[in-house]
Amino acid sequence: MDLAQGIVKAAALLGAGLCMGMGALGPGVGEGFVAGKACEGIARSPENASLITRTMLVGQAVSESTGIYSLVISLLLIFST
Amino acid sequence: MSFSIEVIQIAAYLGAGISVGIGAITTGIGSGLIAGEGALGVMKQPKSSDQLFRTMLIGQAAAQTAGIFSLVVAMLLIYGRSDTAEGGWFKASAYLAAGIAMGLGSLGPSLGAGYSGGQACKSVARMPKHGNAILGNMLIGQALAQTSAIFALVVAFLLLYSVPDQPAGISVGRIILKTMAFLGAGFSIGFGTLGPGTGIGYVAGKANDMMGRFPNEKSKIMRTMFLGAAVSESTAIYSLVIAFLLIFAL
Repeated sequence: MDLAQGIVKAAALLGAGLCMGMGALGPGVGEGFVAGKACEGIARSPENASLITRTMLVGQAVSESTGIYSLVISLLLIFST
Repeated sequence: MSFSIEVIQIAAYLGAGISVGIGAITTGIGSGLIAGEGALGVMKQPKSSDQLFRTMLIGQAAAQTAGIFSLVVAMLLIYGRSDTAEGGWFKASAYLAAGIAMGLGSLGPSLGAGYSGGQACKSVARMPKHGNAILGNMLIGQALAQTSAIFALVVAFLLLYSVPDQPAGISVGRIILKTMAFLGAGFSIGFGTLGPGTGIGYVAGKANDMMGRFPNEKSKIMRTMFLGAAVSESTAIYSLVIAFLLIFAL
């Protein structure tokens, strides 16, 4: 492997790490916030528990999407550059 | 590329400083949150000050876990490394990355465990009768928040002890590639645990808070807490997978 190729690949790998790391930051906080509010809602009106759980899971799935984008980009950077 | 053994020492000492310096930031903030709510609770309920004091101390001890992990990694970087010239750039970058992984990795979990413990103290002050149930839920929530700190510790140990010595006669491009891969692994798990740790701490804190307001709904609150925490944890697991790939698969 010559120097230029090595540097390009090295930048891709460092980028993969930063991408997954920072990309996981937002979804983690967001999903935690959703679940915390769901706990609050279920405690206040337990008769609507199943409805609240459904809303929580759908909301978490949507905020998970950016985490999965980061995962895909990281895997692309690792394996296809 | 010329290499001298001082490079490994520089990287290890820098890594040790980063590990315990960054790791201590939110450990202090988290313990302070718990003590603040504890003091406020003693003001509201002076009669149950013993129970509040106990909850506060147990919560603070649990919130310090990630800080202790970063202290251990820093100690190992200072005293437990092998600086031989065969290690080369591989070892130097792995030591720096171990410090980054554990330092950044303890930010989120400590903040989460601190928020969870603070809300538990608030709840105990509101309903001292249900103090034991709240204490139990606090410890479960803090343990959930600390799982991502344990991921960071695992990656730091792997970087410390399972990175091979630099093979002789390897090309310069390959050396740069591997060093950046190790640093990338450290950044991946370090930043990747920040969100899940904070998020799970928020879930556990809200669960503790609500357990003090509606103690009869304990089972439903705990079920929602577990489900929400498991979903938030997923991005930490993605980061762990990427870190493993960067360390071993290249």
